[in-house]
Parts: sequence; C-alpha cells; structure tokens
Amino acid sequence: MNLNLHVVTPNRVVWDSEVQEIILATNNGQMGVLPNHTALVTALDIGVMKIRLNAQWSTMALMGGFAMIDNNEITLLVNNVERGIDIDLQEARESFRLAATDRARAEGKRQAIEADVALKRARTRLEAADALLFR
Amino acid sequence: MASSATLRREARRLGSLTSSWTVQTLTRPCQSPLPSPWLQQTEEVPSFGVRAISTQIVRNRMKSIKSIQKITKAMKMVASSKLRAIQTKAENSRGLWQPFTALLGDVPGIDVKKNVFVTVTSDKGLCGGINSTSVKISKALFKMASSPEKEARYVVLGEKGKALLQRDSKKHISLSITETQKNPLNFTQVSMIVDEILKNVEYDAIRVCFNKFQSIVSFMPTMSTVLSPEVVEKESEMGGKLGELDSYEIEGAETKGEVLQNLTEFHFVCALFNACLENACSEQGARMSAMDSSSRNAGEMLDKLTLSYNRSRQASITTELIEIISGASALQAKA
Repeated sequence: MNLNLHVVTPNRVVWDSEVQEIILATNNGQMGVLPNHTALVTALDIGVMKIRLNAQWSTMALMGGFAMIDNNEITLLVNNVERGIDIDLQEARESFRLAATDRARAEGKRQAIEADVALKRARTRLEAADALLFR
Repeated sequence: MASSATLRREARRLGSLTSSWTVQTLTRPCQSPLPSPWLQQTEEVPSFGVRAISTQIVRNRMKSIKSIQKITKAMKMVASSKLRAIQTKAENSRGLWQPFTALLGDVPGIDVKKNVFVTVTSDKGLCGGINSTSVKISKALFKMASSPEKEARYVVLGEKGKALLQRDSKKHISLSITETQKNPLNFTQVSMIVDEILKNVEYDAIRVCFNKFQSIVSFMPTMSTVLSPEVVEKESEMGGKLGELDSYEIEGAETKGEVLQNLTEFHFVCALFNACLENACSEQGARMSAMDSSSRNAGEMLDKLTLSYNRSRQASITTELIEIISGASALQAKA
C-alpha cells in the first residue's frame, strides 16, 4: 500500500508519484502519515518534510501551505518548495547566519516579525540540506 | 490667332476625355504662360471619373496602409511569442486550483447576501472582444445578484474593465486595480492584490469573471466562485453542497474557523492567479487574431488602391500624350 503524493506550487507540480511514508511539519508540530490515514485537511508551517521512498529518506523544504489527505492521496499546496538535494549546503549556512544577524539587529515589531520569518525559512533550508545536522 | 482657334477646336473635341483644368489650359490665349500641367500633379478634387484621381494622393494612402500592415504583422508576432510564454504558466497553475475545487467545490449556484464580482480584464486594447464579453457577463450577473436583501459590488482588475464599468456602474465599484501586467504575473503579486481586496471588501461569496483560454481561437467567459469561511462552515455543517468537507478532520490551528479562513484565503489567491493567467493568455490570443485580420484587411485595401493607382497613372499618361499630340498636330496644321 502506497501513498500518492502530489506537491504543487503556483508555478509547477514538484512531485507526483508514490511514496511509503511522509513526515510533515504542521502548525501543531510534526505529523507522520502512513497509508490509510484519516481524511484530513491541515495547515503547514514553514518547515522540512521528509519522504520515505524505498527505505530511503529524502527531504524537502516547504515554505508554508496546506495539506489534504484523503484515501491515500496526499496533495500539498505550498507557496514554494526546494528539494533537499538541490540546496547548496554552504550557501544555506551562509544565509542562515545572515538571517540570524538580521534577527538580532531588528528594531520594531514589524521588522522583528519579518526577520523571524526569514530566519525560519533559512533554518528550514539548512535542515533540508543537511539532514544529519539537526537529527 | 488661328493656332488658338485650332487649339480651342481640339480642346472641345477632347473635352469629354480630359479633366476640366486641362481644357482650360488649352483654351487659354497663347500669350499667358502655360503652366506645364504635366509636370506638377498637385492634389485637387477631380471633377469626374476615377481616372482623374491624383496619383500622389493614392501613393500617400498606399504608403500609410503598408506601414500599418507592417505594424500589425509585428504586433501579431509579439502576441504569439508572449502567448507561448504565458500558456505554460497558465497550465501549471491549473494544478494548484483543482484540489481546492475538489475539496471546497465550485458552487456557482450558491445563494448568499453579499456578492463581490472580481472582473479580470486587460490593460491594453486592440485585443478583440474579450474585455467587452467579460464586462457584459459581470453586469448580467450583477443584475441577477442585486435585489432588496442582497447586495453586490465590483472589484475591477485592468484598465479596460475600469473604463467600461465606470460609465454606468461607478458607484458600485469598491476597488479597481490597474497596471498589473507591467511585470510578468507571479503569485506574490496576486497575493498582495488579494490582501488589498480582503482588507477593503466584505463578502460572502466572491465571483471571479474572466476568459478561460481553450485554444488560440476560442475563449470561454468563465466564472469561478470562492466562498467566505463563515459560509463554508455553515454549508458544511448543514450538509449541503459542501457536506463532504465535514468528513475531513481539520487540524493546523486553534480552531476550525481559523484554518478555514486561511484555507479560503489561499483558495481565493489560487483562483485569482489562475484567472489572471488564463485571461492574459486569452488577451494575447485575441490580439493575435485581431492583428492577423487587420493585416489581411490592409493587404486587401492595398490591392484595391494599387489598381486605382495604376488606372490614374495610365489616365494621366494618356492625357499627356493627347495634349502633346494635339499640340503637335495643331502646329503641323498651321505649318
């Protein structure tokens, strides 16, 4: 029994095939989905999604969106997505460092919120790129 | 003396063939300097006959029509290349909006109190009839949706729609957004537009009216419906058209209402993104066919003008010959 996963962004369909298990990052924490899961609609946070395909785990950095699970069909609608293997580790580390310094320097509520979101995004990319780092 | 008499006789004989001022020149007394009519063809209204149209006028018209034809041909090629670029984007965006329709349903028949019509039109003209069809449909639906208990408002995207709707529905327009296509359409831009709309307009249902791109020659005016979170919740609990939504567990935030609100806002952005892209495709397709037919028309006009140009050219040559020959024969007769 497999799950049919579709990952869709406004510009293109990123993933459209079968997987065995996925782990999503929702607003209420991480959630695992196995075959024959209940029908579910959930909001996704900016975070890393792990996919198990043929006993191998791969990662994807999702930038927020929604997930709909129904009858072993999973549709993820996200604003932006990057596959872990496509992210350059050095560049991800660099942008994480920059985002952290920006966050420390932010003044005012609005800047702080924006810097927070940017930091979250950078951390997600870094986590997706280097799966061993945050294990 | 005799020469002038002979000239006059000749002129009267040729009077029916030549134009009036040539006759006058022939009958003028020899002392006055004869303007050489065959050297300057100035534009003046001929007294009779197609053959008397000045070649200069026709040549000018032909030049301007030829340049118009070149311009419209170029516009057609530009439109076709832009169409190719946008078409792939539009097809990719369809995949984003379909899951929402599967989940929340596209129920145009839903009856709500507050309707907001978002009309998607183009900024530039010369694109055939797509803008007027969009506006016509929005107006018809607006009429259907306005009644004593219900109210309806417009949100217009695009210069052309704004101009068309301002004429008679000015007080019903809540918001108008133009110059959306200066930069290529992307999702972020549309989300900001939706943000603006949601800040300013209250709604129970939003109806997006646009032209769906089916093929290069066919555009279908379409309306997609997006419901507000309250209506979604009510309908799903009542087990009406959205009854299946209740069979899903909804997680992701404190309350179901909050998730539904995010969900419907996201639905609106995806639907509007798809609508804008499809409308842009239809606009380029309609412009292609409009420019194509106009270059064809220009070609036909050019053919007709070439015929009349040749005719007037031949007529002027004939009159020159006649004048020369009659003058020469008059001199010979005298000698």
